Amino acid sequence: MKHRVAAIILGTAALVAPALAQPSPSPLPLPSPVEKQLAARAANVTEVTLGKGMLDFAARFMDNNDKDQVAVKQLIEGLDGIYVRDYEFDKEGEYSMDQLEQLRQAFGTPEWTPMVHEHESKSGESTDVMMKMINGEPQGIFVLDAEPKELTIVLILGPIRLDQLSELKGLSGLGGLGALGDAAKDKPGKDKASKDKTDDKAKKEGTQ
Amino acid sequence: MNRHFWIPIGVAALCVLLTAPWWVVRAAGGGGGFDGVVNSIESRYHQRAMRIPFMGLASVVAGAATHGGVDCVRVAEFEHFSAPVDGEELNRMVEERLGQGWERMIRETSRHGGEQTMIFSHPDGKRMGLFIVDLDGAELNVVQVSVDADRLNETIIKYKHHDHDDEHTSE
Repeated sequence: MKHRVAAIILGTAALVAPALAQPSPSPLPLPSPVEKQLAARAANVTEVTLGKGMLDFAARFMDNNDKDQVAVKQLIEGLDGIYVRDYEFDKEGEYSMDQLEQLRQAFGTPEWTPMVHEHESKSGESTDVMMKMINGEPQGIFVLDAEPKELTIVLILGPIRLDQLSELKGLSGLGGLGALGDAAKDKPGKDKASKDKTDDKAKKEGTQ
Repeated sequence: MNRHFWIPIGVAALCVLLTAPWWVVRAAGGGGGFDGVVNSIESRYHQRAMRIPFMGLASVVAGAATHGGVDCVRVAEFEHFSAPVDGEELNRMVEERLGQGWERMIRETSRHGGEQTMIFSHPDGKRMGLFIVDLDGAELNVVQVSVDADRLNETIIKYKHHDHDDEHTSE
């Protein structure tokens, strides 16, 4: 009897232990080892992780009588998360092209559509913008901006309207996305904005 | 005589027994939550936190003034914090001590300078717990606060309107 009880306890422990030992999954769908490697080499690291709960909480502070704040509230209420990673390095060459490729590949699924891929060979700077499209609707945006001594990753998940992105200007680190939103506003239509950028990308790929 | 002698000794022994786990945990820099984090920092970096007098009273006043918008305020301040800090280690330590339910929202860390900022959040029904660890130069602050967004917003709007009214009357 004693042996049976001990066997049950040991068996249960064997089943439960691996589950307990597993680290909690990162909210950011990025290759975790790359994130850790970058953080370990960077001189300054900034990480912003705003999940749905936190965005809903922030939305409750928005003043319903203020038109701008109402617009921001509408935008962030529907989002599933805003993630920002910024790594500043002391010198150039602290991250590899292979690491950048791994970050891009994390979004290499069919639902992610590349919108912009810009690479300046002279300065070594590159910018990637990808859009998550589900049933023709944008459901996420990923921005990877690589400079010789700085790497910035922005990921917004959830239904996004490009023309509303400019409202996020006020949020630290998301100013660039605001500019993207402005660009979309300037275009006559959403589809055109997307097409123009895809055309740019096609031209660049053609010349490479 | 014999009984009179043993009663205080018995009470003292009972007190020691009851508080022993607390002393053991404290000596090991253990425990969870706010005290756990502060104790860990104290024991790891050999620094002593300055407890702010009447903080409990201040917390009650803050709760009453904001109609429960801000509650459970706890602050520990480390002045003249000279120990070198490894951001990764500090982050791991704080995460371990805070335990489950707390999610890191913001982290800013510099390898060279003594600057580390971490903000954790803990949703709890309508309330949101916020836990902040901020090292700026030679000062490290640990703050915990519980916020009810709706109630706090009501208070903010109320004071905003007061402000507007004052502006109009002065014109």
